[in-house]
Amino acid sequence: MLEARLEQAAVLKKVVDAIKDLVQDCNFDCNDSGIQLQAMDNSHVALVAMHLKTDAFSPYRCDRNIALGINLASLQKVLRAAQNDDLLTLKAEDAPDVLNLVFESAENDRIAEYDIKLMDIDQEHLGIPDTEYAATVTMPSSEFQRICRDLNALSESVSIEAAKEGIKFSCQGDIGSGAVTLRQNNNVEKPDLSTIIELNEPVGLTFSLKYLVNFCKASSLSNTVKLSLSAEVPLLIEYKMESGYVRFYLAPKIGDDE
Amino acid sequence: MGIKGLYQVISDNAPDAIKSGDIKQHFGRKVAIDASMSIYQFLIAVRSEGQQLMSESGETTSHLMGMFYRTLRMIDNGIKPLYVFDGKPPTLKSGELAKRHARAAQARAGHEEAKETGTKEEMEKFARRTVRVTREQNEECRRLLKLMGIPYVEAPCEAEAQCAALAKAGSVYAAASEDMDTLCFEAPILLRHLTFSEQRKEPIQEIHLEKAMIGLGFTREQFIDLCILLGCDYCDTIPKVGPTTALKLIKEHKSIEKVLENLGDKYNVPEDWPYQDARELFLKPDVSDAKELDYKWEAPDVDGLVEFLVKEKGFNEDRVRSGAERLKKGLKTSTQARMQDFFKAIPKTKEELELQKKKNDEKAAEKKRKQKETDAKKKQAKKPKLGK
Repeated sequence: MLEARLEQAAVLKKVVDAIKDLVQDCNFDCNDSGIQLQAMDNSHVALVAMHLKTDAFSPYRCDRNIALGINLASLQKVLRAAQNDDLLTLKAEDAPDVLNLVFESAENDRIAEYDIKLMDIDQEHLGIPDTEYAATVTMPSSEFQRICRDLNALSESVSIEAAKEGIKFSCQGDIGSGAVTLRQNNNVEKPDLSTIIELNEPVGLTFSLKYLVNFCKASSLSNTVKLSLSAEVPLLIEYKMESGYVRFYLAPKIGDDE
Repeated sequence: MGIKGLYQVISDNAPDAIKSGDIKQHFGRKVAIDASMSIYQFLIAVRSEGQQLMSESGETTSHLMGMFYRTLRMIDNGIKPLYVFDGKPPTLKSGELAKRHARAAQARAGHEEAKETGTKEEMEKFARRTVRVTREQNEECRRLLKLMGIPYVEAPCEAEAQCAALAKAGSVYAAASEDMDTLCFEAPILLRHLTFSEQRKEPIQEIHLEKAMIGLGFTREQFIDLCILLGCDYCDTIPKVGPTTALKLIKEHKSIEKVLENLGDKYNVPEDWPYQDARELFLKPDVSDAKELDYKWEAPDVDGLVEFLVKEKGFNEDRVRSGAERLKKGLKTSTQARMQDFFKAIPKTKEELELQKKKNDEKAAEKKRKQKETDAKKKQAKKPKLGK
């Protein structure tokens, strides 16, 4: 059986908010390394991988590998009933029909208990190879969100170019064009506001802004975001949590082969 | 047309083989389309008040309307269509063709009669059945495609077979046809409903041959034998053998030869039943080598389109011009890649596959049970009426 308790319900709330517009139904795979999720959007352009490690929970108990097939919209509905500071406990049998969620308020002795019906989801998992990226850029997540939102007003796609001096986001649309450049800067007082570029070689790729804007819903998970780019592989966008992560992969747009 | 009941058999026994989704999901893919069948469809479906669309001079334009706007719909969704026209029909099809001819003649007679005596609905019904694609209409569609910059190829024989060959060789992602027999020609993926109108809101069906064969537990030969028993265009079926029996027979005996040896007296096998020729036709269809075919997506000839569609056929000029703009745009936009282009699926373990099969079987059994229940209910509901 599974029994996992989170100190703060907010963690799960944010994770679900971050991915529910990308995927509708997916399996939460519970095993002795924690709770994991891997899913693609309908058109298989983007992939989200989430991992909440066992340290995120106290206690964490999972005797057998369990796949919880969940409709994310339903899960979000139930999680709305939880306060951010509530203790949240997830429980499930070994071959479960339902996932049990208990919200306990620390302030008063309120205990709320919900069951969500599970579903059978036949999902294929993709093997994601370890990649040595040409460029890795860490920047404030709010900044990344702002850039994506601003450029999305002009165009469907953005070209991201990473060089030694900085990272440049540019787009061209019907009404005109736009570009935002972030120079490498190290903010000693507020490290979260730094832009740090680790570069092996300069790289430039084009991506759909619609998806990037969607990924930015995860900004509440972390103050910083890490973008990893290499020519001709999907972009990796990582939001690190205290003990776990949410990673998004986005396939690039490629020029015509003919 | 096609294979009788094959879709049902696949969806009952190999549900994973069928996916349905939005047309948008197929962006960036090249697709080979059976042109001859599409034109026929357009002649039947593209109508207003039951009448085919006509230009001022009274020529039918349904086929051009369909070809133009439904091709545009694909282009808007990032799909690159390649049309394939039928060549000579195989000799084996002559029986089927003669039947179709007879039906058309019958329908014409019916149409005449309905004109005199019948209702409007009856007239429409017969009018639809009399539809045949003329050589001129085929020619006009070729001319239209050329002006649109959309490539087409001529199949030496059956267009479905050529579509399948293109998909098999990897030249295109899938073959698009309504005919299920495209699967018998070994198209790895078949798309259905691609040329339907937007308003019908039909999702695009994607049928995977490999998964269908795994689900059925058949080899390709067995799959083809099943299709022949179900009923194809090339030979008759054994009377009284329907989908359930056909599936059972092939599962038990593995080939039509063995089935025939073990078939009881209950069934009358047609004399001179050319099932071997039909099988041969599916296994070794007359097609051109996909690698040698020459086709390219090009910019549309706007002036040519206006000349043809507006001046000759009376289309609205603004709409034709905006269509041409869409064609240009579709040609230019870069393609969005997919995750599978980079990351490969982790193959399922044996246990997972077994579990899945078990679940499928359970679902199928459940479905059958429910069907029986509803049938029983229907029967019961009918009884009192019969008593009256």
